[in-house]
Amino acid sequence: MQLPEPLERLIGELSRLPGVGPKTAQRLAFHFLRADRERAERLSEALLDLKARIDETLICVVEAPLDVLAIERTAEYRGLFHVLHGVLSPIDNVGAEEIHIPELLDRLAGGEVREVIVATNPDIEGEATAAYLQRVISPLGVQVTRPAHGLPFGGDLEYADELTLARAMSRRQVL
Amino acid sequence: MRLVSLTLRNYRNYARLTIELQPQLNLFLGQNAQGKTNLLEAIAILALSASPRSRREADLIGPAAPEASVEAVVDGAGRRLELALKVAHGSERTVKTIRVDGVARRAVDLPGEVQATLFWPEDLNLVKGGPEHRRRFLNEMLVQVVKGYGRTLASYRRVLEQRNSLLKRIAGGLEGRGSLPVWDEELAALGSRLVEARAGAVSQLAPLAAANHGAIAAGEPLEIEYSGPPAPLGPALAASLEEDLRRGSTGVGPHRDDLSIRIAGSEARSFASQGQQRTAVVSLKLAESDLIEARCGERPILLLDDVLSELDAPRREALLARVGEGGQVVVTSVEAEPFPAALLERATVRCISGGRVEPCG
Ligand SMILES: Nc1ncnc2c1ncn2[C@@H]1O[C@H](COP(=O)(O)OP(=O)(O)OP(=O)(O)O)[C@@H](O)[C@H]1O
Ligand SMILES: [Mg+2]
Repeated sequence: MQLPEPLERLIGELSRLPGVGPKTAQRLAFHFLRADRERAERLSEALLDLKARIDETLICVVEAPLDVLAIERTAEYRGLFHVLHGVLSPIDNVGAEEIHIPELLDRLAGGEVREVIVATNPDIEGEATAAYLQRVISPLGVQVTRPAHGLPFGGDLEYADELTLARAMSRRQVL
Repeated sequence: MRLVSLTLRNYRNYARLTIELQPQLNLFLGQNAQGKTNLLEAIAILALSASPRSRREADLIGPAAPEASVEAVVDGAGRRLELALKVAHGSERTVKTIRVDGVARRAVDLPGEVQATLFWPEDLNLVKGGPEHRRRFLNEMLVQVVKGYGRTLASYRRVLEQRNSLLKRIAGGLEGRGSLPVWDEELAALGSRLVEARAGAVSQLAPLAAANHGAIAAGEPLEIEYSGPPAPLGPALAASLEEDLRRGSTGVGPHRDDLSIRIAGSEARSFASQGQQRTAVVSLKLAESDLIEARCGERPILLLDDVLSELDAPRREALLARVGEGGQVVVTSVEAEPFPAALLERATVRCISGGRVEPCG
C-alpha cells in the first residue's frame, strides 16, 4: 500500500525517536491523521518552543540526577545537562572511567557546545572533579566555568561560615 | 578564659555530673581508675572538638545510654558561651553534634572558642616518642589559635588519602596518571598552608620554650626547630612521584613533619637524660600556653593530669609557679602531698571516686 507522502515523512521522523519502532511510529502517525488540526498545532508549537528555549551550546555537569531538578527549579538555566553519576574518588575506586566523563567528552566532540558549567558539590571530591574536567575540556576549545560560591541569600554576614565568606570576598564582583 | 561549669551525662564512667569551677585553682584528688583523666579529657574535648586520648569517639559513651554529652559554660573575651557536645551511636557510625549557644556548629569549627592546654603523663612522648606525637602537639595547639587550621588539616588528610589510593590504582594498572595533577595541586596548596602555620608557630614557640627551660634548668639551652617538607611543595611532590608509586604512599608533605628538640646542642630524644627530657616537656607545654595567650590575648585553661608526682622539685616548682600566676588551672592528683600548703589554701579541693565528685574526707 502506498501511503501519502506527508504521512510517510511523519512516520519516518517518529521512528527516529528513542524507543519508538516502526509499528509505534505508524500508530502515532495515524493517531495524528485522525486528530483535529488544533492537536497537531499544539504539538508542533510545543516542539518549537522547546527548541527556542533550550540553549544547546551550554552543558551543566552535575553529580546526580537530583541535582538536575534542583537547578531546573530555579528556572534560571536554559542549557543542557550531563549527569556524571559520581565524582572522582580513588578511595572508593572511582576514576574518570568509572563515572560518565567519557560520555561527556563524546557529547563535546560534536563541536556545538561552547561552555561547560561544572556544578559538582563544593567539597574535596567535587572540586577535584571540576579541576580534572577543566584540564581535559579546555584543550577542546570549550570554556569551563564553575557556579559562583557566595553568601547565602537572606543570610547574616556575621554567621556565614569562614570558607564561604573567604571565597565570596576573593571572588567579589564590581557593582 | 575560664570554665564556669561542666556537665557530663553518660560520659565514660560519669553517669551524671555537674560541677562549678572556681576561676583559679581547682584540684581533684582520686585513686587510680576513678575518673580523673576522664574529667580533664572532657574539658580538652571542648577545646579540640575531639578527644586527645581516643581516636574512636564511641569510646566516650558510657554504659547507660547510646549517647554521651559534655556541656559547659565558659567565660572568655568578655562574653559567656554555652557549649554542648554530644556523641551518639548511629546506625552506621558514631555521630557527633556540637552547639555553641544553641547554634549547630561543624566539629572542625569548634576549636578556638575555648582554649586549653592539657599536660598529662602521655606528653613525655613529646620528646621520647615518634614524630607523630610532635605533629599532634603542633596540631592541638594550632587548631586553637589559627582560624581555619582544623579545616585545612582535615582536608589535607582527605586529599592525602585520595592521592595514596590513586597511587595504588595507577601502580595496579587500574587507572592512568591523568587525574594525578589535580590531587597533587590540591595537596600542595593545603600542605603549604599547614607548613606556613606550623613554621610560624614554632618560631614563636622556640624562644618561649627556651626561656622556660632555662629557668628550670639553670640556663641549660633548649632549641626547638620545625623540620618541614622541602619548599615549594608542588615540585617536591612531583619529584617523589616514581618512588611514591612504588611504595603506594606519599613520601613528602607535612604529614611527615617533625620538631627537632635539642638540649645543649644534642638531639634530646637519643641523648638527653630522663630528667632533661621531662624538663623539655614541661617547658614545651608551658610555652604552648604562653603562645596561646600571646595569640588570643587570654590565658588558656591549664589542665594538669597527675603530672606533678612525676616531676622532681625544680620542675614541680616551675609548674606550680605558673599555677599561681592567675589563669584558671584544673589539676588532678592521686594525693595532695605534692602541693604546698599555701597553694592548697587558695584551691578548691574535691575528691573523685567512681565517677562521682564530692567534698574530700
Ligand atoms: N566509655 C566508658 N564507659 C564506662 N567506663 C569507662 C569508659 N571509658 C573509660 N571508663 C572507665 O573510667 C575509669 C576511670 O578512668 P580514668 O582514666 O579517668 O582514671 P584515672 O582516675 O585518671 O586513673 P589513673 O590515676 O590510673 O590515671 C576507668 O576504669 C575506665 O575503665
Ligand atoms: Mg589518669
